[in-house]
Amino acid sequence: MCNKKYIANNIKNLLLITAFLLLAIPVFAHGDLSIQIAEKTKAITKSPNNFELYYERGLLYQQHVEYNKALNDYIKSESLGNTNNDLKYSMAEVYYLSEDYNKALKFISNYLEIDSINVKAKKLEAQILFNLKAYKKSLKAYRYVINQMVDTRPEDILEYSNIILAENPNNYHDALEAIDYGLKQLGLNTLSLQLKKLEYLEASNQVKKVLEQYNYFILQYKRKEFWYYKKAKYLQKINKPKDANIALQLAAISIEQLDAKFKNTNSIIRLQTQIKNLETTLN
Amino acid sequence: MIKKTTLIIMLLFTAYSFSQTATTSLVSSTKPVKPTVLVERGPYLQSGTATRVIVKWRTNLATESVVNYGTELGALAMNKTSSNVTKEHEVTLSGLKANTKYYFNIGNKKGVLSESVTGDMYVITAPNIGTKQFVRAWILGDAGTGNNNQRAVRDAYYNYVATSPENTGKTDMMLFLGDNAYGSGKDDEYQKAFFDIYDNMLKKSVAWSCLGNHDGKSADSEKQSGPYYDIFTFPTKGQAGGIPSGTEAYYSFDYANIHFIILDSHHTNREIGGAMYNWAENDIQNTTQDWIVTLFHHPVYTKGSHDSDTEDRLIEMRENFMPMLEANGIDLVLNGHSHSYERSYFLNGHHGFSNTFNGDEMTKGGHTVGTNGHGNGKIDSDGAYQKTNEATEGAVYITTGSAGKISGGDLNHQAMFLSLNQLGSCVMEVADDGKGGQNLTVKFISENNEIEDYFTINKTGLAFNADDNKPEQNSSMVSYESHLKTLNITVNPNERLKKVKFYNSIGKLVKKSRKESISVSKLSKGLYVVEIITNINTYSESIKL
Repeated sequence: MCNKKYIANNIKNLLLITAFLLLAIPVFAHGDLSIQIAEKTKAITKSPNNFELYYERGLLYQQHVEYNKALNDYIKSESLGNTNNDLKYSMAEVYYLSEDYNKALKFISNYLEIDSINVKAKKLEAQILFNLKAYKKSLKAYRYVINQMVDTRPEDILEYSNIILAENPNNYHDALEAIDYGLKQLGLNTLSLQLKKLEYLEASNQVKKVLEQYNYFILQYKRKEFWYYKKAKYLQKINKPKDANIALQLAAISIEQLDAKFKNTNSIIRLQTQIKNLETTLN
Repeated sequence: MIKKTTLIIMLLFTAYSFSQTATTSLVSSTKPVKPTVLVERGPYLQSGTATRVIVKWRTNLATESVVNYGTELGALAMNKTSSNVTKEHEVTLSGLKANTKYYFNIGNKKGVLSESVTGDMYVITAPNIGTKQFVRAWILGDAGTGNNNQRAVRDAYYNYVATSPENTGKTDMMLFLGDNAYGSGKDDEYQKAFFDIYDNMLKKSVAWSCLGNHDGKSADSEKQSGPYYDIFTFPTKGQAGGIPSGTEAYYSFDYANIHFIILDSHHTNREIGGAMYNWAENDIQNTTQDWIVTLFHHPVYTKGSHDSDTEDRLIEMRENFMPMLEANGIDLVLNGHSHSYERSYFLNGHHGFSNTFNGDEMTKGGHTVGTNGHGNGKIDSDGAYQKTNEATEGAVYITTGSAGKISGGDLNHQAMFLSLNQLGSCVMEVADDGKGGQNLTVKFISENNEIEDYFTINKTGLAFNADDNKPEQNSSMVSYESHLKTLNITVNPNERLKKVKFYNSIGKLVKKSRKESISVSKLSKGLYVVEIITNINTYSESIKL
């Protein structure tokens, strides 16, 4: 009898727990990061001198974009004796994200004293130095990143070329070389790099190459109307109205040849107005 | 009684194992017994096009990679072999025929490691770009819980597609909206919540995905490394159509007459003028496809477990990307992140907060489009949302992030026709409307096998490509005799022809003439501007040779 009661009680408890969990799941379903933070806080309460726990909670706060709390945990972890190099990186990162670049530099330098070849750390160092306007040093660090990086992205190349120009605003030669390097790495038709190449060629007044670059886009694209117009604008800018007119005509013809459903999109209607305005200016 | 139960369980297991795809293990018959090579993951299909597909799988031991394939199940006459010894296998099959079913198996140089004796391991290559035919895509948002909710949602779709009266069993692609494996998109989490769950579909349907925030915890878009980037292989150089992005974080592909644009709303910079924005703008402005669909994780409209009025990524995607995508004819926007199903009216130009939405506002670009844009979009009720060659505005926005769990929320976004705290996934079907156009229909299939919502966007006049019906390119001044490759110039009676100039497609002067009948046999094919100069005036005409 007693056993039966015991079993019945257990079943009741089990049902209650199940019911609670069923109710709780939707509530906690999304905020797993908050749950992890709460769990870590609980663990810290039990082991208040465990520097690992503070570091781990700091990482969670950082993911949660709570940089001050993350920093407090990192500092606490350090004060409890955490000498791990990863902590230095994380502190540098949080100071960087909090725009305290001097402190960020201090910690990333500490990190690099122990692990001087870490690409991720070198990149962070370059970004910190850039924000401190130490462009020469930033460039040196980023050059290392570019040379060592395995999976380069277009954004990396763009950032690198940007630092080159920050260091010397006239150094389009090196900036373009960086873009060409990126194109070789990522594929010759990588759009954002080809666009940046056009921008740099224009900024450095390399007229012949600019026109070649416009022609590259015109030949490369299935739909050419936008590029004809952009080329016409550039031709107008460099005082070549006749050539600009030809480009505008080609733009108009390209629109004419478009499938009807594209002719009436807002972007094409806007482009037609721009073409007309430029035609008026030219003639 | 216990014996009976055991017997039933044994029978069920036997039946279950027979129903599964057969997996052959190579077991050496000689002694000592060599370690057995086993397939631990896959095979699964990536970056499929009309002529190529990537087959990936994982083995427990490093070995060579072999894919045997052919159009007949019993005769896989072709094979692709890589002698590199690896556990992570990736084989590209190329030179395939469009719209063709290829059965395949995988193995190493010693033999087959995994095959389907019932023919459930195959790839159907994509149609040629621009082809108008039936297309079905299975759309899964925030699926990766690996629990019974996810399985129930999966099974409901499997049931739907198996019992669909038309195109039974056909799933052209799987579109994952991110958060494919909770909690951090780690490799073992992907195994549990992705490969173990969708194994049967992944070996016969190409999977595409965008990055979710949970995938992003272990994946690093900056380095394109981590499980998400290791598991998926997406086109970075425009291999599947579209403009090369140079990154797997955002890319595009064509399937039939649909252009898909996949964006990274999590890690990548979302600013106007940023690399992703510039790429997306140029990509959408280069497509000639009939339908344009975009997918990214963070929803532009939601009041589910996330709020598009308060969260930065959601606001940035709406304010920065949507005006550009809408101006270029986007038709359908697919998002996840909120664990609910929220489906909009037929919208254009609503880029503000929920409380600024006005469904009756149809002027100056929006917020809804067409006479029934504020309706339910159902053919059998308020009617399909309509796009024509003249009326090109309008898109439906779907937040569908409940393929693995639901998380509630206010679910009262004003731009939404329907908001449900309901498990489920979506299916998109593009089909002929019988009148020369096409219907794009999306259905939300709940885990209970119910179609809880559906709508259709109809586009007219898609039966033929525009170029097919273009008249001969003659004008009052220029006529082209293609058989003679001669261009005839006619000027007004009171004018005298002085000169004719030909400019090619990059605006370069390539030919001059003073004749009225000009041979153009030496000019290459393409577009030309013909400048006709008379004693009175200068005219411009165009000609396509």
